[in-house]
Amino acid sequence: MTNAPAIQATNLSKNYKELTALDQVNLALEPNRIYGLLGRNGAGKTTLMSILTGQGFANQGTVKIFGHNPYEHDATLSRMCFIRESQKYPDDFRANQAFKAAALFYENWDEDLARELIEAFRLPVKRRIKKLSRGQLSAVGVIIGLASRAEITFFDEPYLGLDAVARQIFYDRLVEDFATHPRTIVLSSHLIDEVANLLEHVVVIDAGKIVIDEEAESLRGAAVTVTGNAEKVAEFIGSYPVLHRDALGSLASISIRTRLSQAERARAAELGLELSPVSLQQLVVRSAMGTEDNDTSDVNVEAMK
Amino acid sequence: MNRIIKVARMQLINKWTFIGIPLLILGGAFIFTMAIFWLVRRAGGDEAVMYSGGAQAPMWYFLALGIQSLTLTFPFSLAMSVSRRTFYLGTVLLFGISALLLSTFYYLMGLVEQATGGWGLGGRFFALEWVADNNGFVQIMFYFVLMLLLFMIGFWIATIYMRWRTSGMLVFFVALAAILLGTVFYLTLGEKWGQFWAWAITWSAGGVVLWGGAVAILMAGASYLTLRKATA
Repeated sequence: MTNAPAIQATNLSKNYKELTALDQVNLALEPNRIYGLLGRNGAGKTTLMSILTGQGFANQGTVKIFGHNPYEHDATLSRMCFIRESQKYPDDFRANQAFKAAALFYENWDEDLARELIEAFRLPVKRRIKKLSRGQLSAVGVIIGLASRAEITFFDEPYLGLDAVARQIFYDRLVEDFATHPRTIVLSSHLIDEVANLLEHVVVIDAGKIVIDEEAESLRGAAVTVTGNAEKVAEFIGSYPVLHRDALGSLASISIRTRLSQAERARAAELGLELSPVSLQQLVVRSAMGTEDNDTSDVNVEAMK
Repeated sequence: MNRIIKVARMQLINKWTFIGIPLLILGGAFIFTMAIFWLVRRAGGDEAVMYSGGAQAPMWYFLALGIQSLTLTFPFSLAMSVSRRTFYLGTVLLFGISALLLSTFYYLMGLVEQATGGWGLGGRFFALEWVADNNGFVQIMFYFVLMLLLFMIGFWIATIYMRWRTSGMLVFFVALAAILLGTVFYLTLGEKWGQFWAWAITWSAGGVVLWGGAVAILMAGASYLTLRKATA
């Protein structure tokens, strides 16, 4: 039981009428780590999380949560918390009534933490949920997610509508609380750079397929942008896999997927080339896009911001 | 078991839905009916006993409640990591208890009504003879089964919606219309309406309890099977 991964998905596929939402997804997430589930809108993030929590159904494949199929299994379900981005609440429920319900069902519910967060987010708990703003609605989900202290907690685009201060509060509280109460956290996001520092492991999903499943640490230095004279850049990068190319006159700026050695860095300096790290967001976008079309990939960088 | 009770408690967090509104509807219907009875008596209409169907008003609310407790609370209960089975059992359990309490209340109010000569106005609101002439158990069961049946109709329709959305509704109501129309055709073309009404008036409250109860249980089963694969 203790050796079982927190989350194991095998060959998960999900088709809607004309759309393949998930395509042969295989995942194994270890307990007590922070995972990023990254991808564009419609990539399949919410579908995947719904199926992992037994709320949605796959057409094919299996899910094991701590070794159990979560579907209709209360003992397993109660170890997870998944508040969806478009979560529905009972009509006329006020935020404090939603918290009261969450306190009923989540054994590890921390009322003090919930109260602190309500204060920090300045959430009007007596207002009806259907009258809350988008940001306040997100705050309700974030508070339930954090205060429930479920062994596996999913956050589905938790920052929507939250202002910069509120987002920072969320990230800070998440890290703080994770330090004292380790658990498995899956943070779904398309704001990659903003959450990059929180993540220990990154899963990127695109058009229903897992395109990256790697440690954040190994992704961070895993690509570099070389800028300088086009010919020299071309000479330098040799046969390394190219993520992205930009050119302006005789200048070129090419991102390659590799970890440069000390000698290579020295050589770049000799050639008068500038090296700059590729951010996780850039890396994710370029990897998801491949190198097939550089013009549109820039558009997609914007789309993911 | 524990979580089933928690589902019932969750449904009760907003006390208005399950307790406040039905009582308000019943109270409102009662007061209005009494006012009308009083006016009729004042105008001199004192020959016969007056009947009111006002007591059924809260029952129709249960149809809405069946729909509401599902469409609004089910997606939230999924987010509370409650299994569909637990949600179903907790909700039906809570409704069953509320319906039983309200049915008993109807029965007791019926006794008061008869003891006070129809609230001093010769009116019948709770104790309609066809029901009130039976023993207490049948009376309570009669109200209970009717409430349960209405709740289950609402609940089942709502589960069909949650599972198949608009196309489910379309198929359901088209099928329902076809069945009703088919029945009307059968009775009309076969000139069987006379037989039908002759049969309809032979029903007793006890018969309604038995057959209504059977249908309610059937619908409860259908609701559960439909809910098993419903999504938020």
